[in-house]
Amino acid sequence: MKDFEPVIVAFCCHYCAYTAADMAGSKRIAYPANVKIIRVPCSGKVDTIHIMKALENGADGVYVAGCLEGDCHFKNGNLRALQRVKQVQALLEEIGIEPERVEMVAMSAGMGERFAEVAFEITDKIRKLGPNPLKAGMENAKAA
Amino acid sequence: MQNQNSVQTGKVLVVGGGVGGIRAALDIAESGGDVVLVDNAYSIGGLMTQLDRTFPTNNCDLCTLSPHLSESGRELHIDLKTMTDVTGIQGEAGAFEVTLKTWPRYIDVEKCTACGECLESFPECIRFTPGLDHRAPTCMRYPQATPWSYSVDMDKCNDPEALEKTCKIGAILPDDEAKETLIEVSAVILAPGASIFDPSHLDHFGKGLYDNVFTSLEYERILSASGPTGGILVRPSDGKQPKRIAWIQCVGSRGIQKGAASYCSSACCMFATKEAIVTRERFKDDIETVIFYMDMRTSGKDYELYYQRAKDEFGVRFVRSRPHSVVQNPKDMNLAVCYTQDEKSENITEEFDMVVLSTGFMISEETREMAEVMGIKLNPHGFAETASFKPVETSRPGIFVCGMFESPKDIPETMVQGSAAACKALGIVPRGKQAKAPADSAVENQWDDYDGYEAFPPERDVTDETPRTGVFVCDCGFNIGGVIDVPALVDYCKTIAGVEVAIAVGHGCSGESQKNIESYIKEHQLNRVVIGGCSPRTHETKFQDMVRRAGLNKYLVEIANIRDQDTWVHRDQPEIAANKARELIRMAVARVKLSIPLVDYTLPMNKDILVVGGGVAGMTSALALADRGFKVFLAERSPRLGGMAANIRKTLEGEDVRSKVAEMIERTMNHEKIQVMAPAIIVDHSGMPGMFTTGVQSGPQMFYTSIKHGVTILATGALPNKPSEYLLNEHDAVVTQLELDERIEDDPDSVKNAANVVMIQCVGSRTKENPNCSRVCCQAAVKNALRIIDLNPDANIIVLYRDMRTYGFQEDYYKEAREKGVIFVRYSLETKPAVEADEDKVTVTFNEPILGIKASVTADILCLSTGFISDDESTEDLGFIFHLQRTDDGYFLEDHIKLRPVDLPVPGFFVAGTAHSPKNIRESIAQAQAAAGRAQTLLSQDEINLGASVAKVDGKKCAACLICVRACPYSIPFINADGYSEIDPARCHGCGICAAECPAKAIQLMQFQDDQILARLDGLFERMN
Amino acid sequence: MITAERKPMEEIIESVRPYNRILLVGCNECVTVCAAGGRKEVGILSSALQMAFMQEGKTLDIKELTLERQCDPEYVEELVTVIDQADAVLSMACGCGVQEVARRYKDKPVYPALNTLFMGAAERQGVWAERCQGCGDCILGLTGGICPVARCSKRLLNGPCGGSTAGKCEISQDVDCVWQLIWDRMKALGIENRYEEVMTAKDWRTSRDGGPRKIIREDLV
Repeated sequence: MKDFEPVIVAFCCHYCAYTAADMAGSKRIAYPANVKIIRVPCSGKVDTIHIMKALENGADGVYVAGCLEGDCHFKNGNLRALQRVKQVQALLEEIGIEPERVEMVAMSAGMGERFAEVAFEITDKIRKLGPNPLKAGMENAKAA
Repeated sequence: MQNQNSVQTGKVLVVGGGVGGIRAALDIAESGGDVVLVDNAYSIGGLMTQLDRTFPTNNCDLCTLSPHLSESGRELHIDLKTMTDVTGIQGEAGAFEVTLKTWPRYIDVEKCTACGECLESFPECIRFTPGLDHRAPTCMRYPQATPWSYSVDMDKCNDPEALEKTCKIGAILPDDEAKETLIEVSAVILAPGASIFDPSHLDHFGKGLYDNVFTSLEYERILSASGPTGGILVRPSDGKQPKRIAWIQCVGSRGIQKGAASYCSSACCMFATKEAIVTRERFKDDIETVIFYMDMRTSGKDYELYYQRAKDEFGVRFVRSRPHSVVQNPKDMNLAVCYTQDEKSENITEEFDMVVLSTGFMISEETREMAEVMGIKLNPHGFAETASFKPVETSRPGIFVCGMFESPKDIPETMVQGSAAACKALGIVPRGKQAKAPADSAVENQWDDYDGYEAFPPERDVTDETPRTGVFVCDCGFNIGGVIDVPALVDYCKTIAGVEVAIAVGHGCSGESQKNIESYIKEHQLNRVVIGGCSPRTHETKFQDMVRRAGLNKYLVEIANIRDQDTWVHRDQPEIAANKARELIRMAVARVKLSIPLVDYTLPMNKDILVVGGGVAGMTSALALADRGFKVFLAERSPRLGGMAANIRKTLEGEDVRSKVAEMIERTMNHEKIQVMAPAIIVDHSGMPGMFTTGVQSGPQMFYTSIKHGVTILATGALPNKPSEYLLNEHDAVVTQLELDERIEDDPDSVKNAANVVMIQCVGSRTKENPNCSRVCCQAAVKNALRIIDLNPDANIIVLYRDMRTYGFQEDYYKEAREKGVIFVRYSLETKPAVEADEDKVTVTFNEPILGIKASVTADILCLSTGFISDDESTEDLGFIFHLQRTDDGYFLEDHIKLRPVDLPVPGFFVAGTAHSPKNIRESIAQAQAAAGRAQTLLSQDEINLGASVAKVDGKKCAACLICVRACPYSIPFINADGYSEIDPARCHGCGICAAECPAKAIQLMQFQDDQILARLDGLFERMN
Repeated sequence: MITAERKPMEEIIESVRPYNRILLVGCNECVTVCAAGGRKEVGILSSALQMAFMQEGKTLDIKELTLERQCDPEYVEELVTVIDQADAVLSMACGCGVQEVARRYKDKPVYPALNTLFMGAAERQGVWAERCQGCGDCILGLTGGICPVARCSKRLLNGPCGGSTAGKCEISQDVDCVWQLIWDRMKALGIENRYEEVMTAKDWRTSRDGGPRKIIREDLV
């Protein structure tokens, strides 16, 4: 499992995390390429089903990156996103997938360093968790 | 031969097309005014276009500036005249008559497509870099030039006929002649910029003598991907990559060499630091970088942090010393830099492979001549004379100045002055020529030119077409092309399903590439476009305009962010970067297939302004806008107007602050268009640019009022710092510079009798707790020292400093103080002075680094330069209410540190004065005028564009469950008479929370529909089974 | 409104384990409003099931469909075109919908994905509470508009029991004593004098006690 490079989908709010990612770029702060960013107008736009579909499609981890508490451009979208992430975590637990594969993080637009930090942390965490169990399941079936 | 033309009045003439001039021209044009922009060069852009990258983000300039350039090229309000000089001016403010002389370009700009044929035929063609290249007969200055056209230097051309024949469309005009034009304008803005000090006569630095000595601008060109070496850093002497590079500061500045200016050029400390960081970034430990400096003058917003990062993070070595010579070793062409240091008596020699001279700025002879034509007064250094309370006004009414010609400065300050000058110039443009009158007369006074503004062709109906996608990949110079193989990426793109064409487009944002892409769209009947380039945050609008010009709806383009979020991040891992670029483009292609044409929603614009903060900055903004007929609400927290300036008595230049501020308060209080609310606090806020609603509690009773306004200007100021250090707040002999300033005016005798005065700089600034420089304290110390000397020439004054930061012309006063006997002694954080009480005096003990001794002085007055701290509580509250970001040290964070220093990231919000960062009165006023200028660009519009990203309900699916009604943060959805949810697109903010929560999936957020988001996932993953 | 919530995933997974082709049917009525079985929940359950089985190396062929109302034969008829492509139906409607599908498609196994709970009202976003038990003989006119049948743990009709403390029911501090609520309401209406009127024994034959019930509207039949 040494060579495992996880694929991680990051749903990033336009007003904070997406801007922070650009900021990391302009400051030339490196972070793992495992993180694939999908821009959303607000973390509150991220639907439960988007997170589920990402995992179903093969993502090894998913995180939703919204504004710091109290800083949401749309008042409380980040808090609603947090609740949805919790819902997904509970559902994953029920079907035997590690809930840690899904996470909510918060940052502000100026936090390029934090964006990179988070990307490192989550990539490390998912690397330790190993690949999405769906892949192993499907491969075993094929082998058999 | 001369042609005489006459043009109508009501215009503003902008002389100089550098960033300052462009900013001014754009602001005026966006506010509905007409501009004639002249530049004596063959394309606009000025000095900044020659830089490689700018601090603090180390962005490539070309891409941040080029949208502005093309914008001004396109804007119908701007009449651009390149290769043009001003040869005469008559009349007065409001009615000038200016004579312009346009030199022959020998190329018809209208016909020239910049195909480069002429350049091909004349192989010696890259004329670009001052001092590093040979002149070529035809040249373009940089790849995104505006106008998009070559020019010919006929004097250098031996065979004009052959040259003429190389152009198939006949754009070359060998018989082109100078033309003279007479124009009538209301106001003039001078933005000619500065030229660079030429160090070639200084034989001890070897510039011109040795191959490996450069000026900093040359070094920028070498680093630049579009520079003469294509961005490859090698020594001209042997073609090898240098291992050690030295920067020598203050070349041509601070009066230390022959022919040098006596002032400080203000920007060199930062650009040298930036060049060193960029070098270390690119070459890591392969290149050692050393900067030799006298004082590190990193006093701008967050600049001190940048300086610290250079040292700690990037390992740039800073040596405080003036090297006395650079000597070349004839064997290996290495350069020996000889210097001494305060602490050591011996000579030190270090060898470098390359030396960069940080050359300062001078006013050219040409500019002095132009000033003479204009009839404006110059200061002794040849810069336009201005005053603290009139920072962009020249001695001749109606003629304004911005940028370097006012004083040496960096890009953000130039941008501020550009907008300030635009504001002042608009102030004398006759009403009706500019923005429509605010309220009643709006309807009849139709703004003739407005419709022609964006001359887009009709949109092609693509609803029934199958998606045909074109992928256009930028290399952005080295930014993308230097990391990944762009042609290989393009080949890959061709294999993605649904991709009709894929090509590489160089700088996709440049005029030429845009035209190229447009023609591809038309030729291949493309109906979806993917750009592989930089961030959609910065360039989406530009590419949306581009597809509109090609006849497509603007929402049919998608940008894959392969620069900011890929090649910039993974430049050490080109394989990984290339793979990620493929993924990002695949995701964008999958997404764009599902894009649908959308229509933007609009609302009427509220033209009133809320200014928060009634100090000098707030009052300046309020008065500028009120004078233009706009209604201003001015909310001040304290019961009185005036802010911090009310406590300042004199400026460094000796101007009386108190009377000026009193005058300003008087005008503000009595202005019929200004409603002053004081004391007042902001309690709530909602809405969007053009229709904000802010709740204010004001008056002695703190009554609640709800104000409706279109824009908001924040001028809430900072606080004087009062840290408990050196017995401040404990001992009567210890005062701050602000208190001393007052005492010198009110109680001169007590100051007169002080035999010993000690000042300590950087108290509470540049420390762990408050890491930035307070910018004003060095000038305050010099000011007060000089005033004490005036009162008592025998006074002993000792200033203990870390770096004297008397930037610009303040250097003259610093020099005067030294000449008059003020003693300046340096200390470092490790050798901080100690202060002890000694009855009614204090004893100050400090290190004398040159003598190497500990010295003690019993001071009658100990004056601490405590500077500023941010008004953390206010900015936190207001940041929360208005959703604004702040810097780590509590100042408001602007939208773009370099190019948009007045705009806040939330549209419709502007910042002025010390709420932005520490600055002096002159700088605060300039920024306040700039804020008023920027505000007018919004206020001149009659409609607010709300975009198309709104939630739409499918009534058939809706179960009227009320979940959206309850979830919306703005209470917009309601269940209509037909029994399903309805969302007013004009009021929808576009967050998409309702769409995410709708249990019937009846709501979709346009531009972010579920299938569009899921399509990205499909593009990313190949299905596993 | 009828409220429901999703069954534990394990139970749902086991119920569909024998099948490969599943028709997952939501309902756009009550269970959409209580966020248990609308289009969104159908999508989430579909994805969750898929993932659960993929771990075992199996992919399901899930067809998602949400009917306007699963308890009406005309809407349920819409399944006719797709029913043959499914081995089993998983219904996200209340019990009524599940039964209607089972009645219409006799040879197709139908499994419930929800537990139907009660007839209730939304207290606020995301919170629903029981309000009615369908006793068939409404007494709300006598109790200030608050139902002791549905909301008293013991269904007491004549005032609170000894377990009522400080306005709360003895079963939980989170449950109001309905007789406290009725008292407060009567006081607000100025009819507290009627609080002590003794209610006669309730005829439970109109409720479930009389066997399954049916309504026949002769004028509409």
